Amino acid sequence: MSVPSAAQRALPLPEAFSPWRSLLRGARLVALLTLLAVAWAATQTGVFRGDLINAGGWALVQQFFAAALRPELSPAFLRLTLESTLVTFAYAVCGLALSLVIGLAGGVLSSEVWWLVHQRPFVARPGSPWLIARGALALPRAIHEVLWGLFLVRILGLDPLVAILALGIPFGAITAKVFSEILDETPRDALRALLNSGAPPGHALLYGLLPRALPNLLSYTFYRLECAIRSATVLGVIGAGGLGYQVLLSLQSLRYGEMWTLIAALVLLSGITDWLSARVRQVLGAPARLEVNLAPGCEAQAAQLTRATPSSRGLLALLGLAVLVVPLALVYLQPDFGRLVSPRTQALLGQMLAEMFPPDLSGDQIARLLQLSLQTLAMSIVAMAIAGLFGLALAHPAARRERGPRWPYWLTRGGLLVLRAVPAPVWALLFLFVMFPGPLPGALALAVHNLGILGRLIAEAVENVDQRPTRALQHAGAPPLHAFFYSTLPMTIPQSLAYIFYRWEICARETVIVGFVGAGGLGRLLTEQLSSFDYPGLSATLIALFGLTFVVDMLSTVARRPLR
Amino acid sequence: MPEPVFELKGVTVRYGAFAALSKVSLRIEAGERVALIGPSGAGKSTLLSLLNGSLAPTEGEVRLLGQDPTRLSTRALRRLQRQIGTVYQQFHLVPNLSVIHNVNAGHLGRWSLLQAVVSLIVPLERSRAARALAEVGIADKLYARTDTLSGGQQQRVAIARVLVQDPVAILADEPISSVDPERSREIMTLLRELCDRFDKTLVVSLHAIEYAYSHCERMIGLRAGQVVFDLPAAQVSPQMVEALYRIRDVDV
Repeated sequence: MSVPSAAQRALPLPEAFSPWRSLLRGARLVALLTLLAVAWAATQTGVFRGDLINAGGWALVQQFFAAALRPELSPAFLRLTLESTLVTFAYAVCGLALSLVIGLAGGVLSSEVWWLVHQRPFVARPGSPWLIARGALALPRAIHEVLWGLFLVRILGLDPLVAILALGIPFGAITAKVFSEILDETPRDALRALLNSGAPPGHALLYGLLPRALPNLLSYTFYRLECAIRSATVLGVIGAGGLGYQVLLSLQSLRYGEMWTLIAALVLLSGITDWLSARVRQVLGAPARLEVNLAPGCEAQAAQLTRATPSSRGLLALLGLAVLVVPLALVYLQPDFGRLVSPRTQALLGQMLAEMFPPDLSGDQIARLLQLSLQTLAMSIVAMAIAGLFGLALAHPAARRERGPRWPYWLTRGGLLVLRAVPAPVWALLFLFVMFPGPLPGALALAVHNLGILGRLIAEAVENVDQRPTRALQHAGAPPLHAFFYSTLPMTIPQSLAYIFYRWEICARETVIVGFVGAGGLGRLLTEQLSSFDYPGLSATLIALFGLTFVVDMLSTVARRPLR
Repeated sequence: MPEPVFELKGVTVRYGAFAALSKVSLRIEAGERVALIGPSGAGKSTLLSLLNGSLAPTEGEVRLLGQDPTRLSTRALRRLQRQIGTVYQQFHLVPNLSVIHNVNAGHLGRWSLLQAVVSLIVPLERSRAARALAEVGIADKLYARTDTLSGGQQQRVAIARVLVQDPVAILADEPISSVDPERSREIMTLLRELCDRFDKTLVVSLHAIEYAYSHCERMIGLRAGQVVFDLPAAQVSPQMVEALYRIRDVDV
């Protein structure tokens, strides 16, 4: 190819120009639809209505914040706080352990690679058994921990076992899905080489695939520990005990001084877990907490760039810790495993299932469910729009950088930690001080809690982005903010938006838990049906909820595709 | 005697105890085409970082376009850096921006923040960008997403960015190590022609010695942080090059 001396020639500009085309290629439709959906959701949840604020509540808010200056620090209450913290932590650990057992078995069985190595030759065939396994895991995943808890407590009675199972079952299903994805995204060249040299499938997986997938599997496990602490707290709110339960008690009896002590304990527990999990990932050389939306093949590249081999000493220490902590937590909680197989449990389960079928699918009921489903959907959209917007804005000060002052980092990270450490139902109750009951306080509660999670996820994406293009611009004389708009921002936006859409899936499930404190939507209906033992109605609502989460998952997947 | 574009006087750069460059002195005049050659770790990249003002020497004096970058304010340093363009081995482009924005990033030292942000939505100076792309031979890629381009094409985008920046001197840090041999020749020829036509000084670090002979008029041989030779290309013998790259006593 010769270099044209084209300076003299008049140049026609190629093609027509369209703004943002480069950044969101093929995504303009998605962007437009998202904006429309947010506008619709805002109207639905009553953002534009006048009578939102209950002015009478401001005195309570003042009292609440004034109490921050004098938290309850009596020895008896500190003791109670410590015990509650231990209970929450023990629930999280036991639930996570159960979810790992389910996750490993389910993850292997629903991974493509497991079934492929057992076929000969090593190629895909129609009728994929891993898809069946994945489908079977969708149901337990769609039901939020709190709902599991409410069901199980009816069958098993009040026992720590309920909280462990309520946490372990949905977490197990989610873990299985992610584990199977990690196994399938791990490069297969070594595995293929071993299989081709005649190694049995199991041996080949153990030597060719597992070691490479291990840092990612462990990294995700520790991310799940963070999630488990948050979920164990929420389970406390519905009566399982621990920090969430105490926060609720103090809030309802207007003892705000106690609340601040408990919130401090929550922040501390969350903060330590998050820090530990980050340290572990550092040791493993797997910087991302959660990698969503990698284009096929990217994983391999990222692996080569960032992954280090985990040190075997660090691994042993981790394993030792796990072996020690799980039995200790079990001893502390004393769950009654006998209840799992007792005749009473079987009778109650049978009775409940019998009453749940057939579901109440009368015309009235369907119309009501449809309307509430739309309301729930609107709640989740408003929540994510707020959390996403603020998350994008806060993530940049919250990203650790090499130069410049450190206080914006600590300030925003600390703020985000508090937002996510306080569970969403508690946020909802706080919003209800000054707002009239309805979907909006629920949406705000979800927004605030998810902002805490999302802000940090995006901040870590910002930290992990390739710094060299930014430096190249700065070395050519571009001021820092200019360079930010031409490198860091465009490079991190696809991943950030992918996180927002991914979080939306989870938020749609979480609408149930703010529903329990009266924030509207399907969650509120579920609460009413549970307390009036309306099981046919309950199963109909569950079907609606399942449909809703399915629709949201699908929309999120479609919306994320052009962001790759 | 006119002021040199680059001047180093007894420059040493240390990273901890390791001396990446020691006691290097050299002058590069306007319009010269200089090749930096030498084995990996010889200090070529360190030298180029000194020349674009992104690294300060541990000892000695660096003068870029007659100015000492270590004594400039941040603002004045940026103004100086605008006059020196760099092309990198790994391109250092933003993969998911379209080509025009990566090319327009060459304006950033001059643009106000408002202009910069507005241009991301409705690109400014489109004809200037189109002309730069035509100069580098990929006029039709103006609105293509950068990561859809081949390695050679991406390096052309990086060169177009430098053209838009319109510096006095162009530095190129192993610009052809990430592209195939045929593309290498094209990129080197492009760099030489552009520097000739727009009267720019070129300093390029290379592993492919044949291009140092064919495309540059002066060669600086670096080894273990020291200048081994600094001669017109015609006077560099194959024996000298071989001695430069010989394994023995490189890893001391």
